[in-house]
Amino acid sequence: MPGAARIDGAPGPGRDGQRPHLIYLAVGFPPAAKSCAYRMRETANQFTAQGWDVTVVTVEDESWELDSGVDHTLTEQVDPRVQVVKLPLRRDDLETDIRRYSEERAAAPYPWVRALVERQQKVFPEPSFGDWRGALEDAVLRLHRERPADLLLASCVPYVNLAAAWKLWEEARVPYAVDFRDGWSIDVIDGCEAFTKDSEKGRWEQRILESAVSLWVVNDPIAEHYRARYPELAHRVHVVRNGYDADSSPGRTHRPDPEAGLVFGYLGTVNFSTDHLKLVLDAWRVARGRDPLLANARFEFRGHIGNGARRGSSPHVDLIHAAEDEGVSYGGPVAKAEVAATYARWDAMVLILIGGRYVTSGKVYEYMATGLPIVSAHSIDHDAANVLAGHPLWTGSRGIDREAMADAFVQAAHLAVESTDEQHAEAMAHADRFTREIIMSAAVKQLVNELQVGKTQ
Amino acid sequence: MIDVLFISSKNSPISAVADAVRKLEDAGAGVSFAGSVSESWLGDLTDKVEFAHTHQLPRANKRRAVDLPYGEQVWLRCKTDRWLRTRARTAHVLVALDDGAVYTVWQLAQRNRTAKAVFGFAPALNAVRDINEQGGPARPGPFRRPVSLALSDFGRAFKRIPDATERLLTPRPVMRRSLGARLWRLPLRAPGVPEALRVRIGRRVAEAMYWAGKPSGGAYALALTASKISDTAVKAELLEKAATKEFKRGVDPEFTSRAVQALLANGDRLLGEGKYEEAALALNRALVLGFHRVSHIDQLSSPLAADAKGYAEQFHRSPAMKTIMTPRGRLRPPAPAPADRPLRLLVTTSQNDNFLFHILDRYRNHPEVEVRYLDMAAQQSLRKATGSDWRVLQERLGGDPEYADTVEALMRPHLDWADVVFLDWCVGPAAMLTTIDPGDTRIIVRLHSYEAFTRWPQVVDFSRIDDLVFVAEHVRDLVTEQVPQLRGPLAPRTHVLHNAMPLSDFDREKTPDARYNIGLVGISQVAKDPLWAVEVLRLLRAEDERYRLLLVGGDMDPRTSRATRKYLNNFMKEIEPLVKSGAVLRLGPTDDVAGRLTEIGFILSSSVREGCHVGLMEGAASGAVPVVRDWPFYAGKVHSARTLYPKGWVLDTPEEAVRRILEVNATEEAWRDHAKLASEYALSTWDWSVVSADFDELFFGERR
Repeated sequence: MPGAARIDGAPGPGRDGQRPHLIYLAVGFPPAAKSCAYRMRETANQFTAQGWDVTVVTVEDESWELDSGVDHTLTEQVDPRVQVVKLPLRRDDLETDIRRYSEERAAAPYPWVRALVERQQKVFPEPSFGDWRGALEDAVLRLHRERPADLLLASCVPYVNLAAAWKLWEEARVPYAVDFRDGWSIDVIDGCEAFTKDSEKGRWEQRILESAVSLWVVNDPIAEHYRARYPELAHRVHVVRNGYDADSSPGRTHRPDPEAGLVFGYLGTVNFSTDHLKLVLDAWRVARGRDPLLANARFEFRGHIGNGARRGSSPHVDLIHAAEDEGVSYGGPVAKAEVAATYARWDAMVLILIGGRYVTSGKVYEYMATGLPIVSAHSIDHDAANVLAGHPLWTGSRGIDREAMADAFVQAAHLAVESTDEQHAEAMAHADRFTREIIMSAAVKQLVNELQVGKTQ
Repeated sequence: MIDVLFISSKNSPISAVADAVRKLEDAGAGVSFAGSVSESWLGDLTDKVEFAHTHQLPRANKRRAVDLPYGEQVWLRCKTDRWLRTRARTAHVLVALDDGAVYTVWQLAQRNRTAKAVFGFAPALNAVRDINEQGGPARPGPFRRPVSLALSDFGRAFKRIPDATERLLTPRPVMRRSLGARLWRLPLRAPGVPEALRVRIGRRVAEAMYWAGKPSGGAYALALTASKISDTAVKAELLEKAATKEFKRGVDPEFTSRAVQALLANGDRLLGEGKYEEAALALNRALVLGFHRVSHIDQLSSPLAADAKGYAEQFHRSPAMKTIMTPRGRLRPPAPAPADRPLRLLVTTSQNDNFLFHILDRYRNHPEVEVRYLDMAAQQSLRKATGSDWRVLQERLGGDPEYADTVEALMRPHLDWADVVFLDWCVGPAAMLTTIDPGDTRIIVRLHSYEAFTRWPQVVDFSRIDDLVFVAEHVRDLVTEQVPQLRGPLAPRTHVLHNAMPLSDFDREKTPDARYNIGLVGISQVAKDPLWAVEVLRLLRAEDERYRLLLVGGDMDPRTSRATRKYLNNFMKEIEPLVKSGAVLRLGPTDDVAGRLTEIGFILSSSVREGCHVGLMEGAASGAVPVVRDWPFYAGKVHSARTLYPKGWVLDTPEEAVRRILEVNATEEAWRDHAKLASEYALSTWDWSVVSADFDELFFGERR
């Protein structure tokens, strides 16, 4: 009968009076300019605050240059006691330096990448990352030799981290927990099973979860999926929402100026389809023609678009440029330190999200915390709608429908101009319970408790 | 100044290029552009973006590049371009704007060893920033290949000597002459030539013919070679290549059946060897070729229309196809409609919901029905499963249980919820859905008309469908003839139900000149054969110049196939003078067909095939007098346009159409009488208020 990882007979956290040691597999840790970086940073900080020594394992900064870039301001708020080990791993599929290409790759770049992805999955069943397995396994074994670990926490993606967690468990019986975030066996975008239990991925997932101390996911629907898939592990599945960083909130520093033109904003990684974007822009166009309040309004997109060779120049950017006459613009990524100032210039937020009931996104919390009116551009039964329910300046979940979204833009424009300071404060208060620090602090406490309970069993 | 050289092999979005150039200039770079791109696009680009220098690179391929990856083709075009070499020699950053330009940048970077070489705009900007941080660009060194590359190029050239020699012997001027081509075909026919040599010569002659601009000669050479060899795999490959090339240029090749037979034989052989995946791929290619749209959809005739059963039997003789088409049935019958709660109806399709609006609207507002709608194209995993046509075959052959598991995982939640599934269009999703046993859910599939000319009815397991709905009797006949399952013991019930069309809004007052306006609604497919309508107009105007032809709807999309483009070009040429003279009015697409029909006094159906022709029915409802060509695909059969429409509406030739129009229009009163009768007939037969009762009966099992 499988059970959570135990370290029978081993000196537990606080062994020999020392601070317990966490190896934290967090590929995407700052300075990676990725949305997961905030969660990872807070997790490491909370463990440190709760008396742990934390060794973060991630990849070298150069690797993020190929992906969505780096933001060194993110690192500023990492607790200085956190030790960060950066492995020399790169996403070969995203390589843009042609001098690093073989002649074969240069002649046919996309077929070469397809073949690479196939090779990678022979090592571990995950495209783009599978061949990192050996390096990650070696790294955790080495770190454990240098300073014995009391717990390993693996944050996914990449899922190949699970192989390293398993290796350390097999070889040294170091207990581990998994921060699965969006899960693996659930396709959160389409809302269906991503792979069966008897597939290679399915076997990996089951093996890993059977011995994990704890499993974190970002929302209730994903937790329900895991509890239903592995009923015997249901008690170890916990919802740890993403939340927002208090310093991203702009406060009430900006007053709308309809004469100069209201400003709607989208801030986040652009991961939605071009069809989705087209509909949003169509709705924006319709709304501008529908209400004089929007006639001179602007719509600013900020955040990362595309990666590898297409970074900053994907078809999304073309669509945005094509809507320039409608006041639409793309201003590139925003450094973490400038997030609050960016929100402060805007009058309303546009929440464009993929997926449905299994997706919450981190953006929704930050958007709520701005206290600004929010236009939803996502499916009706999206989990973000559950989080937003009760927000006084939200225009509601109306689906990805041009006419409905146009109405929502109009409503948000009026809310931006007509809302009172009280309503604004009430909207910000709606987000209070989702402060990242509060969420992660509780999650870390609970995980440490579970570990202690596991040891005494 | 940092010199940046953009190299492009295809059109990039101009706004993105402009944005990148602006950022690079802000960072202290001067940007030049070299593109193996169209002149018109380069003109548009240079109108909007100011480069330090621009240059058009050659676009024509070298012959030896024919079978090379695209990147190498681009390099072979450009490698001797003097401008490119000069600029690349001194550039500090070489930038590939697309995948086709990467190899050219790679080669240039081998010669200019100090330049940065990157793929994409953002990396270019990073490279410029790096150079700035390093205090400026390095001085370029000599521009030459390193010894290692020179040696490998030499080795490659040496290996290609036999190819090069053969190409020398089959130059373009020789192959363009019929004598040269005939001489080269001799060894393909000659007895006693070893098979491997014959194939090698066949391929080379075909390549030479294509290169010489004689594609039919190329296809002929491949087909001829295939006819003289025994290796099933090679035979199938040669014939498939020949047929695919012909289809690409819009030609329906004579040897399609041979290609199909070769692919089927190869599929049978592979299946015998237990190679399920390869067998499924071969069979799928046979189906794709045998039911290619150029043969059946983008033409004015189809071998299926002539003899559906005979045509389909070529597939049914294959043992592997027999396995695929073996009905697997369902373990349990569908449960009866629930008595204690609303009927749960899942309406589903893949993207095309054109004929579902009114059905959805009715049952969403029906107190005894709970509706869910699923667009399979909107969900990536479902889109992938429905698009994996060969995997459906592989699963049927017994070699891909994982596919069935995937479909099970995707569809079972929907099947568990629904009492009835109504799937519109009998294409990929129907094949995918019938991979699994539906449990006790009742499955209804509607087949319009287009699907009858595709491969899908051969692949769907109809024993897992309870009710198959057609929009007309003649379509039911055609499909039943070509699908043995529909004639077998596990066949579904079949029904003929008209489309859901609210027609009452079409009955509006006509404009005063409508009597002399002949209308054709919908001209976006070759099957609509609008040239037939033009012929009617010509003959009419010879009698009375007041007649005009009003074309309502978007044009054919020339990108659909070369065959479509050919028809469209011909059509445009024909109507150009008529449009100029005002005899033809191209009204284009509209959301208000009912409004347009107020100007139309006669409504035409000039098509070679139709399911029910919605535009004609709407026209009739509007009070336009119907004039229907006896659709040639079905003419003379048990069911046809003549059995779908009232007597008198349908005729055979443009001359008869003209006679009917002139007779009806002899007086305004006669025209009004005919129009009134047509409208009354349409409204009492096809209006949604009437047809909806048939759908109630279909879903509930009784009329409500």
